[in-house]
Amino acid sequence: MTLDRRQILAAGLTLGAMSLFPGMSWAQARKLVFATFTGSWEEAHREVIVPHFRKATGNADIALDPMLSVDMIAKVSAAKANPPIDVMLMDPGPRLTVIGQDLAAPFPVDGSKNYKDLLPVAQLPEGPGIFFQAVGITYNPERVKTPPTSWDDLWKPEYKGRVGITNMNSTLGTAFMVELAKTRGGSENDIEPAFAALKELQPNLGGVAPNPGALATLFQQGQIDISPGNFNAIQILRARGVPVEFAKPKTGTIAFLTTAHITKNSPNAALAAALIESAMAPEVQTKLMQAPFYVIPTNSKVQMDGDIARMIAKDQEELKASFVFHDWSVINKNRAAWIERFNKEIKV
Amino acid sequence: MTAAAITAGLAGPATAARTRIGREWTLALPLAAFFAVFFVTPLLLLVAVSLFADAEMTRFGLDQYVRFFGDAFNLAVLGSTLYLGVKVTALTLLFGYPLAWLYTRSGPRMQSALILVIILPLLTSVVVRTFAWIVILGRDGIVNTLLLSLGLAETPLRLLYTEGGLVAALVQVQMPLMVLPLITTLSRLDPNLLDASAALGAGPWRGFWKVTLPLSLPGIVAGCLLTYAASVTAFITQSLVGGGQMLFMPQYIYQQTITLHNWPFAAAISIVFMVSVLGVVMLFNLLGRASKGYVHA
Repeated sequence: MTLDRRQILAAGLTLGAMSLFPGMSWAQARKLVFATFTGSWEEAHREVIVPHFRKATGNADIALDPMLSVDMIAKVSAAKANPPIDVMLMDPGPRLTVIGQDLAAPFPVDGSKNYKDLLPVAQLPEGPGIFFQAVGITYNPERVKTPPTSWDDLWKPEYKGRVGITNMNSTLGTAFMVELAKTRGGSENDIEPAFAALKELQPNLGGVAPNPGALATLFQQGQIDISPGNFNAIQILRARGVPVEFAKPKTGTIAFLTTAHITKNSPNAALAAALIESAMAPEVQTKLMQAPFYVIPTNSKVQMDGDIARMIAKDQEELKASFVFHDWSVINKNRAAWIERFNKEIKV
Repeated sequence: MTAAAITAGLAGPATAARTRIGREWTLALPLAAFFAVFFVTPLLLLVAVSLFADAEMTRFGLDQYVRFFGDAFNLAVLGSTLYLGVKVTALTLLFGYPLAWLYTRSGPRMQSALILVIILPLLTSVVVRTFAWIVILGRDGIVNTLLLSLGLAETPLRLLYTEGGLVAALVQVQMPLMVLPLITTLSRLDPNLLDASAALGAGPWRGFWKVTLPLSLPGIVAGCLLTYAASVTAFITQSLVGGGQMLFMPQYIYQQTITLHNWPFAAAISIVFMVSVLGVVMLFNLLGRASKGYVHA
């Protein structure tokens, strides 16, 4: 057979198109896509949840796609009928957006082995809570000699230029502002005290980070010594040898639940449920709680130990007593206005 | 957006070849189709989204534009972004021109060394280059350590998360975009012209102002266009070195899209930003065209 110009061109174009759109060559449903968080979360989920899931499902194909909750929402809402993601992880604020925009399918609670063992606060049929995140005070123990005990410590004159915060784009930044309002007589509906307090904090501010990751960088570079911080974010720094500690404020550790959701119209709904089942399993959560991951468990059967027991809570009772949850349905309504105000008022 | 304008600016005067163009233009069709699908269509979509009156995208209206122009704060963000570009471009030109000039005056061995230094930043990712600046500008960074050890400062200065720090970082990050077009123009400059001006009695400075500078204007315009467009849209450097409280248009768009899901407003400010940058780019182009008249006069 001889090939003419046209045939070569056609073959070339087909090959090109196939490499541009690899989905074209797959006849059946794609692998399960689990949108996890970036950094150490991805590492933890890849090493602990994925093997458990593959064992439970007879080696089902799975791919992790790490990104922020808000990016997951953007991707799924841009392709609602054929979502590129099967399982989404949500912080409390984005979670309500997902439910409000009808982007998630309910978790099949009835068939679940582990759902009933979750702490009551994590038993959410729209998508169960698979771990907690905790926000407290993070500090550099080499420069902050007395461990802080209260949010008010950030205002101490000795920390002039040494305090870091993030702006309100992140869950961390928003939760900090709400907690600030609450400890000073405000609430999710009355953020005024937080803005007033932030004005007083300005001389102490060494930097307003654009995101929590950048806040970690500021610690690493010695730009700041004390800040509100995510318990898990500092574990990464500790593992890298950066001197940083986590302190529980006496008014309570700000906690939020990270929930796992099956994307609506997912072609892999059953596998997605199986993945969430694995993420709730006590053996998975126990392993995730230990070094080097330090993920705070939501399953009541998990025995706390190690750094989590020392720095967060020694058991589920203490956890319930020391965790402060915010009402994100109210926060979400106000958040746009708060961010606009933060944009305008906070200049360092 | 800017790429097309820049190419238009660089195309220069009509070439004699134009009359000989036959069917060869069809070779440009694949790229044109690609642009139509992946550039023009999304752009039109962006315009369409910006015309929704509410964040839920149920009604049409110009509300987003009214909202943008009705608030002085938004105009200040736009203004500071455009001004940031001006500062970075001016400094890049100031530092880049001597470097490009030095290059054209050097021997071959020196030239290879210089070009390596100039190109090297392009071979590393912007994130890496930007991160290096965090290390340089930090409280325990190189600059502060030096200042403290020389006794020029008593306490570490705040350099990171300041506009000065951001401008310095952007100037370094975008430098190749300025220097490469300058080198191209300056290398093409006929050295006889400078000799002639010297022979006719012009000193080195006069020769520079009257001969070198005017003849290198096309390179200056091209370099400025590239640097300007790249620095006003430098999302990564702006957020990592500028910090979370310094708001420029790229972060503003990101904030409205990703954090607040207000796509119509984000689309509207994107369009406003794009048109403003295009305006500045056209201004540069006009300057470039005017300079050509000057050179040929």
